[in-house]
Amino acid sequence: MSREHDGPSMALIVRKDLKLSAGKLAVQCSHAAVNCSLIAKKTESRLMERWQSNGARKICLAINDLESLKILMGKSKSAGLITHLIKDAGHTEIPPGTITVLGIGPAPKSSIDALTSELKPY
Amino acid sequence: MGLRSFIHRLTAPRITSGFVDSPVKLVLVINNDLKMGKGKIAAQAGHASVSATLKAGEKSPSILDSWLKSGQKKVCLKTNFDDLIDLENKAKSIGIQTIRINDAGKTQIPSGSLTVIAFGPDDEEKLEQLTGHLKLL
Repeated sequence: MSREHDGPSMALIVRKDLKLSAGKLAVQCSHAAVNCSLIAKKTESRLMERWQSNGARKICLAINDLESLKILMGKSKSAGLITHLIKDAGHTEIPPGTITVLGIGPAPKSSIDALTSELKPY
Repeated sequence: MGLRSFIHRLTAPRITSGFVDSPVKLVLVINNDLKMGKGKIAAQAGHASVSATLKAGEKSPSILDSWLKSGQKKVCLKTNFDDLIDLENKAKSIGIQTIRINDAGKTQIPSGSLTVIAFGPDDEEKLEQLTGHLKLL
């Protein structure tokens, strides 16, 4: 397996049932990506560096509903991965406090794949 | 004015307290010439936001700080390639931080395509002047 193939990755998992617009989706995913990166920078700086030098890979996946998202969050946390949930401030489109995106990683690609293999790209 | 409302006026917390600095935001402008899917755009916007955050942390930590504290306001806009390059030059000339994201091209679009430019985080009014004419994505 080549090194690049095994480099760390980040997964941004979005609730499909909210039917967010492209712009809203992009902003919510950005929130998650920034927060996960800041956590990684503080707590796992070597992993963070490796992730960045491998192109800071990100993938955006779709999940059916809030229930499934919470289950996945539990699994990710118990696997010890960086896990961050985004709640929308609700300035637009959806009610305040709505959970929109779950960010996982940066983490080894194999750990992320193990959690998210059933999900489809958004 | 009644006594109670008089006392209330003296003791109530001021509504304006909280934000001392002017509001700060990050603007993400997508290259609309490329036909990217929603998920692709979200990942690209994520790249730009993370890079902008880290760069601001090195170059202008106080701006980054007030941006993070005020809830990381982000706006996602769209325009065509030529306009995007134009905006990038204008932003540089007035000292707004820009981050250009070129896609590695593993999915959907040719390698090296310019997908998004992040402007800021910076003063909201300054960014408004630069990108106020653009449409929301």
